[in-house]
Amino acid sequence: MKEKFAQWDTLFVLYLKRDWKKIIVWILGIGLFSAAFVPAFEEIAKGQGLLGMYETLQNPAMISMVGPTPVETASDYTLGAMYAHEMLLFCGLFAMIIAALHVVSHTRKEEDLGLSELVRSFQIGRQANSFAAIVETIFINVLLAFFIGGVMMSFGADTISAEGSFLFGASVGFAGIIGAGIALVMAQIMPTSSAATGSALGIIGLLYIVRAGTDVSNVDLSMFNPLGWAYLTYPFTENNWTLLFFAFIFGLIMVVIAFALEGSRDMGAGYLPEREGRRYAKKSLLSVRGLFIKINKGVMISWLIAFILMGVAYGSIYGDMQTFLESSEVMKQMFSSSGVSIEESFTSTIMMVMIGLVSILPIAIVNKLFTQEDRSLLSQIYATKVTRTQLFWTSIGLAVFAGLVGILLAAGSLGGTAISAMGDSSTMDTLDFLVAGYNFLPSVLFFIGLAALALGWSPKLGKVVYLYLGYSFVINYFGGILDLPEWFSKTAIQSWIPRMPMENFDTPIFITITVISIALMAIGYLGYSRRDMIEGT
Amino acid sequence: MTEIVNVQGLQKSFGKFRALSDVSFTVNTGEVVGFIGPNGAGKSTTIRILLGIINREAGDAEIFGKDTWKDSLEIHKRISYVPGDVTLWGNLTGGEIIDLFLKLHGGGDKQKRDSLIKRFELDPKKKAKGYSKGNRQKVGLIAALSVNSDLYIFDEPTSGLDPLMESVFQEEVEKIKESGKAILLSSHILSEVERLADKVVIVRQGEIVEAGTLDELRHLTRSTVTIEAEGDVAEMASVNGVFNFKQKDNQATFSANNQYLNDILMEASKLGVKKFESAPPTLEDLFMRHYEG
Repeated sequence: MKEKFAQWDTLFVLYLKRDWKKIIVWILGIGLFSAAFVPAFEEIAKGQGLLGMYETLQNPAMISMVGPTPVETASDYTLGAMYAHEMLLFCGLFAMIIAALHVVSHTRKEEDLGLSELVRSFQIGRQANSFAAIVETIFINVLLAFFIGGVMMSFGADTISAEGSFLFGASVGFAGIIGAGIALVMAQIMPTSSAATGSALGIIGLLYIVRAGTDVSNVDLSMFNPLGWAYLTYPFTENNWTLLFFAFIFGLIMVVIAFALEGSRDMGAGYLPEREGRRYAKKSLLSVRGLFIKINKGVMISWLIAFILMGVAYGSIYGDMQTFLESSEVMKQMFSSSGVSIEESFTSTIMMVMIGLVSILPIAIVNKLFTQEDRSLLSQIYATKVTRTQLFWTSIGLAVFAGLVGILLAAGSLGGTAISAMGDSSTMDTLDFLVAGYNFLPSVLFFIGLAALALGWSPKLGKVVYLYLGYSFVINYFGGILDLPEWFSKTAIQSWIPRMPMENFDTPIFITITVISIALMAIGYLGYSRRDMIEGT
Repeated sequence: MTEIVNVQGLQKSFGKFRALSDVSFTVNTGEVVGFIGPNGAGKSTTIRILLGIINREAGDAEIFGKDTWKDSLEIHKRISYVPGDVTLWGNLTGGEIIDLFLKLHGGGDKQKRDSLIKRFELDPKKKAKGYSKGNRQKVGLIAALSVNSDLYIFDEPTSGLDPLMESVFQEEVEKIKESGKAILLSSHILSEVERLADKVVIVRQGEIVEAGTLDELRHLTRSTVTIEAEGDVAEMASVNGVFNFKQKDNQATFSANNQYLNDILMEASKLGVKKFESAPPTLEDLFMRHYEG
């Protein structure tokens, strides 16, 4: 024992000191996001609000996004029930992702950076670092759980009971612990820290997508999903504390597995071997384009796979829609009166969501050029006949290509799965899906344009483009539910684009946004071609 | 002998920090110019301006008679560069990166590459993230030395290399020099500069404080003399051109101004000299003189 965990407490205290700012932002960020929207939901609940929301959220598309509710009649749908229904899954997901990133950054990342080597040279146990990191993460999630419970209760809303509030908090906290457990296992298996982060996030994403499918088809199956042990606790209605026990057991098993794996591996090595590389470069690498493809390949492939999975997950819901429609008179009326089929309505919403996610990849590719510049990776390349024009436009070109392929895969896999799920009753063909997807191409180009602008004039702001993407994503995602004023929702670029197939294609808008985006890229290029390169200063 | 690099009155600031206030020097064909100075003196900034990575605020910087900012691509066809801290893409192997650099530079000698890989004892099949500092440096050096250029710019190229590899590098630089190429060598390893450089430029806080051949620089300074005599060596202390006199029994050490060397010898000869050693100042002495003073 001593050999393994000696002085873990010292490291634990050190981590709290090192991370205190991060911990505060973490707890305040997720905590307030989880708990502080009670007044906003009280607004929504006024009048017929609860009833309308209940019907809206019975739509399989909505269930696939926010999860199910145990409430069976609209009259039992209280404020608390609605709050847990709409918020818990997302809050749990965020908690998981943050915890997973944190665990990898304190375990495997430190090994890769060579920090562990120094730490291990002192009288520190072999596994003390991992133990300290996981204890810290659990500690933070416990604080988070109490913080959320306390804040929610403090609003004193009728149906937001103390028990429910703390169950809500505990569910989010346990989601974080599950995420930490998964990440700790991946940190042992994978050959590098970036692979560990990637695979942990991939697993979390997969769990989310799988549950979208099982929530719509059969909620009982979601109970086998580790993510389900956090978001299916149904605070304020069923208050199902026992699920948290499963979450606890799962977390414990993950940690035990991780420690067993760590105990028999060398520092800096994983269980998946690293292959021996090439002595000489392949011809395909030997150009700026070849190099950029190579260094972006990992992130491109994983995102493209994620797009396909996403399309398949949402596409598989289409089969259940008709059944759902027949079961609800209100919804049936709603759709028959508007003259739009439920499939078309769903497609237009989900397409916007998916293309929003597709935009992440091109932004990442453009930002990568600055990351490389900042880390001095390009120093020796600047001194060759390679021009800045080449570096810039190759990056932009690759980003546009990734956007085109991303839309193709997302829309194509959605359409393909949807059509096969609907069988004979299908009212749309694959082309309709692809057209609906490429309809949003200007928005993807716009984000590339923004990233290019930042790259040319103020490269440190490249990350802000993600913020704007997140902002417009939220506006679009919740815009329908929250009934925002027109000018406000227009601050998100996608709001300008008509939602096909429900609305008609708008050629002037398509061309205008495309031209603006290309102009942004050109302006970015002007900056890039004449600014000083930064190189870590 | 033609002028390859010509830098005049270079100035550059980063925000409020004045990195370069007045830097001027030249590098000619067949010449190794040692560019020395402490950390933060402006060596790398100067080199980045020469490479067109950043732009100067005032002054002129020309390579092959062309402007380093406006005509950087023309210039880049004929130069090789190794930074002091070579950073590499972790998921590519050393061999792949060398090939990439050769290709982006434009050609390069495959045989030369293979022989350098052997001489520097680099394992080209390893992914770059597994390389130590010295091995990353080797990748940069092999890539730069395998191509045929007219000007080589090295920014502390041997940092992290072991002494054996250092001398491999020095041999390669000597070969390049013999073939009439120009070399700008920024280095902290003064013995390396001393061995290779024909001319030395010392920069301090963004200004050139000394420039010239090593001989010229040495001439301006004092030699260190150690003398042991039968008579009282204390008498030497009052001779013209003697400084920093230190005595221990009948042995003394002092700095001697080279132009008074004859007077000093005459005086010494009266004392019954048992030992007389005169050492020229090392580059380190020159360097220290500028930084301590």
